[in-house]
Amino acid sequence: MNNDIPVQDIGPQGEVMAHAVDACVHCGFCLPACPTYAVLGDEMDSPRGRIVLMKEVLEGALPLADAAPHLDRCLGCQACVTACPSGVPYGELITSFRGWSEPQRERSPLARAGRAAILKILPAPRVFSLAARAGQYAKPLAPLLPAALRAPLDLLPEHVPAMQPNPEVTPARGKRRGRVAFLAGCAQQALTPNFNAATLRVLARNGIEVVIPEGQGCCGAAALHTGAREEALRLVRQNLAAFNPDDYDAILSNAAGCGAGLKEYPVVLHGLPDEAQARAFAAKVQDISEFLAGLLREGELEPCLPTARPLTIAYHDACHLAHAQGVRAAPRELLRAIPGVTVLEVPEGDLCCGSAGTYNLEQPELANELGVRKARNILSTTPDLIASGNIGCHTQIQSHVRRQGSRVPVLHTVEVLDLAYRGEL
Amino acid sequence: MTPRKTALSPGSPAPKPRSNGKPDNALAAELTRLLGPQKVLSNLSERLNYRYDAIQFGATPLAVVLPESTADVVTAVRAARAAGVPVVGRGAASGLSGGAAPALPGLVISFTRMTRLDIFPERREARAQAGVVTLAVTDKARPFGLIYPPDPASFRTSTIGGNLGENAGGPLCFKYGVSGDYVRGLEFVDAEGEVHELGRDAYDLAGLLIGSEGTLGLITEATLRLTPPPRFTRTLMASFAEVGACAEAVSAAIAAGAVPGKLEFMDQACTNAVEDYLHLGLPREAGAVLLVDTDGDDLDTVEEERALVEAACLAAGGTVRRAASDAESAALWQARRSVSPALGRIRPQRMNEDIVVPRSVLPDVVREIRALGDASGFHVVQFGHIGDGNLHPNILFDPRRESPEAVHDLAHRIALVAIRHGGVLSGEHGIGTMKRPFMREAVDPVTLSALWDVKRALDPAGALNPGKVLPEEE
Ligand SMILES: Cc1cc2nc3c(=O)[nH]c(=O)nc-3n(C[C@H](O)[C@H](O)[C@H](O)COP(=O)(O)OP(=O)(O)OC[C@H]3O[C@@H](n4cnc5c(N)ncnc54)[C@H](O)[C@@H]3O)c2cc1C
Ligand code: SF4
Ligand code: SF4
Repeated sequence: MNNDIPVQDIGPQGEVMAHAVDACVHCGFCLPACPTYAVLGDEMDSPRGRIVLMKEVLEGALPLADAAPHLDRCLGCQACVTACPSGVPYGELITSFRGWSEPQRERSPLARAGRAAILKILPAPRVFSLAARAGQYAKPLAPLLPAALRAPLDLLPEHVPAMQPNPEVTPARGKRRGRVAFLAGCAQQALTPNFNAATLRVLARNGIEVVIPEGQGCCGAAALHTGAREEALRLVRQNLAAFNPDDYDAILSNAAGCGAGLKEYPVVLHGLPDEAQARAFAAKVQDISEFLAGLLREGELEPCLPTARPLTIAYHDACHLAHAQGVRAAPRELLRAIPGVTVLEVPEGDLCCGSAGTYNLEQPELANELGVRKARNILSTTPDLIASGNIGCHTQIQSHVRRQGSRVPVLHTVEVLDLAYRGEL
Repeated sequence: MTPRKTALSPGSPAPKPRSNGKPDNALAAELTRLLGPQKVLSNLSERLNYRYDAIQFGATPLAVVLPESTADVVTAVRAARAAGVPVVGRGAASGLSGGAAPALPGLVISFTRMTRLDIFPERREARAQAGVVTLAVTDKARPFGLIYPPDPASFRTSTIGGNLGENAGGPLCFKYGVSGDYVRGLEFVDAEGEVHELGRDAYDLAGLLIGSEGTLGLITEATLRLTPPPRFTRTLMASFAEVGACAEAVSAAIAAGAVPGKLEFMDQACTNAVEDYLHLGLPREAGAVLLVDTDGDDLDTVEEERALVEAACLAAGGTVRRAASDAESAALWQARRSVSPALGRIRPQRMNEDIVVPRSVLPDVVREIRALGDASGFHVVQFGHIGDGNLHPNILFDPRRESPEAVHDLAHRIALVAIRHGGVLSGEHGIGTMKRPFMREAVDPVTLSALWDVKRALDPAGALNPGKVLPEEE
């Protein structure tokens, strides 16, 4: 797409954005992939439309405030990137744009405080745990609250577990096959500590020593994607200091959003002195399912015990796994490796579940619409179990599946493996 | 006979956007009063997004209406008429000739929310509102053992209204025909806001509207013919060292009596662009790749036909691979459908030709175009529905570094190759604004004036998609 973006005034992120706009041939192939287009059916809320809006704002032809409502509705799911034959790096565009535009946004003091609070609470497991429990007590009051406050409460699980500390080193069991570093995550650690516990058990069982380096912080994705660029840079650099890629066979994450965030570090630091360091780091980052599937393909994965009876699992592709990281086959291969398991494909499987970081808080209506649709699609396969690889999807799907009256368990892929190893499936 | 309802998205009522600000012109204000804020877009941020299609940008509309019924369309057309502004119909804006990009500021009517689709299996018919996505018709008909064959490469995005506006074709049109061949009837709104229901008997007015690019009326609903899918389909891929050899194989196979369901080709640059996207293991080194489906209800005939094509390919020096599974052939066809946008990986802009030549001269034509491209210094690539002789030579360029005049000059020379060999200017993408300047060369003056008479009879004020298809009257 022709553009006159004043790259020289914007700097390295301007280059990233101009390149993305350039690459778009406005063919519209991305439209059917976009969840907001699927729900709203208009061009401004489609990837192609958003690219044009960003271009117009960057060129100075459209005030940011006019474009903002439509850009804010983007989930950042990157389904459009998977669909785009021209190779438009839409994810890099919207992330850079949010970083560039946030300082210019006019927000009420209340809205600013709210955003700041979310950004502070999410990355701090202890604070999040406290907040979540406080939220639980507020649940009975929910019907009285305005929608924006009700949404986060609706999402809280019925039971918020107590905080569990993670061991800094988990030794390998049996034949030692390698050593990895693990990003323990933040909100996830508070809401679903079993994701990490299961991850450590499964890795150890496969002869992998796991280090949770001290000094690591939040991956920075939430800050980055809400446009808090300075905060994101700080977190990125904190993690670059904490993880030395040379020390490990891989740097693992079990949260699709965080994994995608870690892999994005070179874009965040594009044009800055530590770009090369970010590249070396990102090259080592893998999702837990990629890493385990690697072992499986080499015949190195410890076999699982068969299930008690034939079991169907509906696997949900988290956007940040499937679209942002291109990881689709690995989790399915792992689940299929459990004797007795059949993996089911979900209709409209590529459509986002509507969770997407803080989206539930900021766009409750759309998030709800997508959540309802996702739960209905999943339940239409009548699965015995639902698996996915992302905390956000997990909470969203669980909450909507329950609301539709189903008690089907919703688990992380690695939890399913863990249960299979213990013969509890 | 009760229609079986098939809702497009089984969702609960969706939240709809509404214009954030106040309508900033009289037309937008009047439309908002008549239709309510959820069906009318009037903010600049919204209107800016309704000024383009897949090939070019046009004028920013004064207002955009997202109708949900024919009645809404009538209201919108009448309001525009009262305000004296032009009206442009728009589907998914995947058009490649500038059809949906307004030439003048006016009203854009975007059909993307008119998505009601009923299947009548007993009559082998579908009734579709204009905004139904092309692929959805087959998706909804398949459970009844039926499909809707017209399959433009854009079929996941494009709409029935836009397909009929352009009389879209696709790979299957070699054997099964184009969109217009599947229309039993149309409902349309004329320039004055009257609703008409057309069949195809007596004067084939429906035929007149099909392919008229929204310049004669706005199609609101269509009755489409469905067919049972062929029971057997076999796919093969052949690769050739050079694009002319590929064309020779096609000419020979057709001369030998093969009528494949699909016969498509792409040259080396196309194959590589797609390979960068899909990583399917396509032969990157081949000068041209041919994709062929033979299909039918009798497996022996289908296999026989595939053998015929295979023999022709081998005789022309090609290498042949048979698709081993449905998944493999689906992947190959996805590759072919992605060619056009994947070319964006090579250069950001392209000049997209849509010529048709007699099949007997295909080898000469593709070789001449290849030679023109090589001599020009531009990236010239070729792909298309080669079974129909419908070629899409594309000139890829970077407007920052390469001169648009040189691109146009080359495009003209390529068009002349087609004309010299007895070909025509447009196969399926329509005239729009892109080929309007060539119309005087392609159509004789008497016929042109007859076309103008038709246009005046149906749209006396010239309000429907002005600046498209017909050149200015002299
Ligand atoms: C990557 C790519 C591949 C393509 N491949 C093919 C192909 O294989 N074959 C092919 O034929 N085309 C192809 N096209 C072109 C395009 O997809 C078709 O022309 C398609 O029919 C346009 O449909 P649309 O809904 O996007 O219409 P639009 O682009 O929105 O509109 C097309 C024209 O129809 C008019 N129109 C739209 N809706 C109505 C209505 N309801 N009533 C009256 N007029 C209306 C518009 O004013 C315009 O003139 C391709 C395009 C792309 C980007
Ligand atoms: S698919 Fe890619 S090139 Fe096409 S409109 Fe979308 S982003 Fe642009
Ligand atoms: S990232 Fe997802 S929501 Fe955003 S434009 Fe792309 S497809 Fe749509």
